[in-house]
Amino acid sequence: MKKITLALLMLSIAISSAFANGAAETQVQDNSPIEVTFWHIFGDARGQWVQDRVDEFNAMQDKYHVTQENKGSYRDTLQASLLAYRQGSAPTLVHVAEAGSQAAYDSGIFMPISEIGAFDTSDYIEPVLNYYTIDGKVNSIPFNSSSPVLYINTDMLVKAGYDRDWTPDTFSDVIESLERAQAAGVKDAKYTDGIHAWFFEQLVAEQGGYMYNNGNGRDSRATEALLGGEAGIKVAQFYKDLNDKGLLSWTGKLEDWGGSDNIFTNEKAMYHMTSTGDINVISAGAEGKFDLNVGMLPIADGSKRNGTVIGGGSIWLTQGHTQEEMEGARDFILYMTNTENMVSWHKLSGYYPVRVSSVEALDKEGWFGSDSLQTVAFNQLLETIPNKATAGGLAGTVYDHRTYIEEALVKIFNGENVRTAMNEAIKLTNAKIKEYNANF
Amino acid sequence: MNQNKNAIFKGKVLPYLYLLPTFLVLIIFIYYPAIKTFILAFYRSNFILGTRKFIGLENFKNLFVGPLAPGFIQTCIQTLFFSLLVVLIGLTISMLLAVLTNEKIKGAKIYRLLLIWPFALSPAVAATVFSFLFNPEVGVINVFLNAVFNIKPGWLTNPYLAFFVAVFAAVWKNLGYNIVFYIAAFQNISKDPLEAAEIDGASRFSKFIHILYPLLSPTTFFLLFTNITYSLFDSFAIVDVLTRGGPMGPSPVLDNAGVTTTLMYKVFLDGFGGSSNMGFAAAETFILMIIVAIISAFQFGILGRRVNYDV
Repeated sequence: MKKITLALLMLSIAISSAFANGAAETQVQDNSPIEVTFWHIFGDARGQWVQDRVDEFNAMQDKYHVTQENKGSYRDTLQASLLAYRQGSAPTLVHVAEAGSQAAYDSGIFMPISEIGAFDTSDYIEPVLNYYTIDGKVNSIPFNSSSPVLYINTDMLVKAGYDRDWTPDTFSDVIESLERAQAAGVKDAKYTDGIHAWFFEQLVAEQGGYMYNNGNGRDSRATEALLGGEAGIKVAQFYKDLNDKGLLSWTGKLEDWGGSDNIFTNEKAMYHMTSTGDINVISAGAEGKFDLNVGMLPIADGSKRNGTVIGGGSIWLTQGHTQEEMEGARDFILYMTNTENMVSWHKLSGYYPVRVSSVEALDKEGWFGSDSLQTVAFNQLLETIPNKATAGGLAGTVYDHRTYIEEALVKIFNGENVRTAMNEAIKLTNAKIKEYNANF
Repeated sequence: MNQNKNAIFKGKVLPYLYLLPTFLVLIIFIYYPAIKTFILAFYRSNFILGTRKFIGLENFKNLFVGPLAPGFIQTCIQTLFFSLLVVLIGLTISMLLAVLTNEKIKGAKIYRLLLIWPFALSPAVAATVFSFLFNPEVGVINVFLNAVFNIKPGWLTNPYLAFFVAVFAAVWKNLGYNIVFYIAAFQNISKDPLEAAEIDGASRFSKFIHILYPLLSPTTFFLLFTNITYSLFDSFAIVDVLTRGGPMGPSPVLDNAGVTTTLMYKVFLDGFGGSSNMGFAAAETFILMIIVAIISAFQFGILGRRVNYDV
């Protein structure tokens, strides 16, 4: 019997230690600074940049103490924040991707940052801030923003008989110039991109098309997918034409950013659509091999240039903190995205500086030379007409829809009718939206 | 043969006490989550939103009827194919290799050691190795094929090749595990019947078919079960790292999901990827549990009776 008692005792010790919660709450003393935590996705030099700004901010004042932490991908970061919030230990600031905006908004763990006192947001570039304005309120502060542009191998272009600084304006221009280049013996004169629905969304926005009903999900919660409607059909048809005429090159993998970069920098394509954020990578890849130019996105024939949607991430504020902590969080994020910091952020990462004053500062110091590749990207951004199309479609299940659009494109490449494939994508997207909306 | 198999304990409490740790582990890590998952399948639950609403059988309905059904059904079918191939090819190759290492040759011990090696790798590492090998541009395989035959197959982008590579990687990863068990089984096989057969002039092949193969059947039976479990559940990391679900196949059946999307991977995609529909993913998990239950019942009910334990 003694042995059994002993065994039970050992067992209970083992169990209780297994379930013991090691994380003891530490009491914050009254005179110590208020803790502000910031979770983001950057682990490389960009993470170091964030750490440097945190250190500067902490050294500048002693009311708040900011700590930053890299939590992996956008998805990991959001999931970690949700779980932390539900366990009562949410970070103050969270880095959220543009496509995750609606879901993050609906999760109910965040609050609009513009509700924390009055502060001026007029210096943030309008089309950028537009994306992150929900229900008329600035919901989050833009941080890393980019949009796609068309990268051009001008050596191929010249061989086809074009001027070196010529850029295609429409879908037909792209196809015609590629055909002319091929006819002139440039075998690899092709178009490439990563087959990411982000590009599809951009080409729809350029035509003023909506991805969802209810004003692109901006007037009220999206209940039905449009996927651009006729504008979307035109984009899909553009991809079909490229494919059917043998002018498309892709790796066969969806959302293959690196793969399409490789195709282009290895001179296997004349045009490449990808993010402005890749400008440094691609310039380095082209160095010594071919002459590079950057053009605005091609638009559908006969449509008016409406502008692009600004992708990337923004910084969100979680609920349930003291007023002081939230003010500290706001002050930090405004500091991190101030004029000077956005200039250095742009130089480091290639992301747009999200402030008008930063663009002016860069301009003044001659950052955009007369032939700078960056100029085109900036013009494309600054010429964007702020409206619901360029604000970007809001829906809770954007990631799913992107997959469906990409799969529809692959089906089109395999010979399916454009309308059939797009209708199929709409049907699947609607199923996801309906399921998502039923949660409310 | 007729010894009493039941060990004798003093008192009735003690045996249960010894079993308690096992039960605790099973309850905490297997039964409790399984029951929670089963319950979750009847709810509309979104991970991001933290919602939970009872909807009866709607999640199950959506699996088999409506726009999302073709993707799920395709996934089920290809999961069964994937599993069948991984188990059959895996067991066949490992049994043959184990027989070979059992031959009296120089350095047999080293061969054995090398063959067991892949077992030490995690599936994610194995998949990374394969993704390097089969990289279309810089992979060893294509560099060789390009140099010799001037071809560069898209191993991970062509739907048929991607499926083949995923099966191959999953088989390779588990070879070591299977071989360990077969080698152990050989140690327990008495040499008498083999020697008797040799005296009677039996060929190598008939020795294998008539003596070794039946004597290995308990091990094969055990491995069959662990390999099915492995192919259904543990192949997750291989699919995730190697193909991320893989390219879509041709219409009309195979173009509703990536061809290497196994049921386990789809559960992950639906539950944690995209719109984080946990209830839907739970319903899929439940179907997966039913599939495993059916296979196990079939295995123990029919095959189990044919296993020869009388060594």
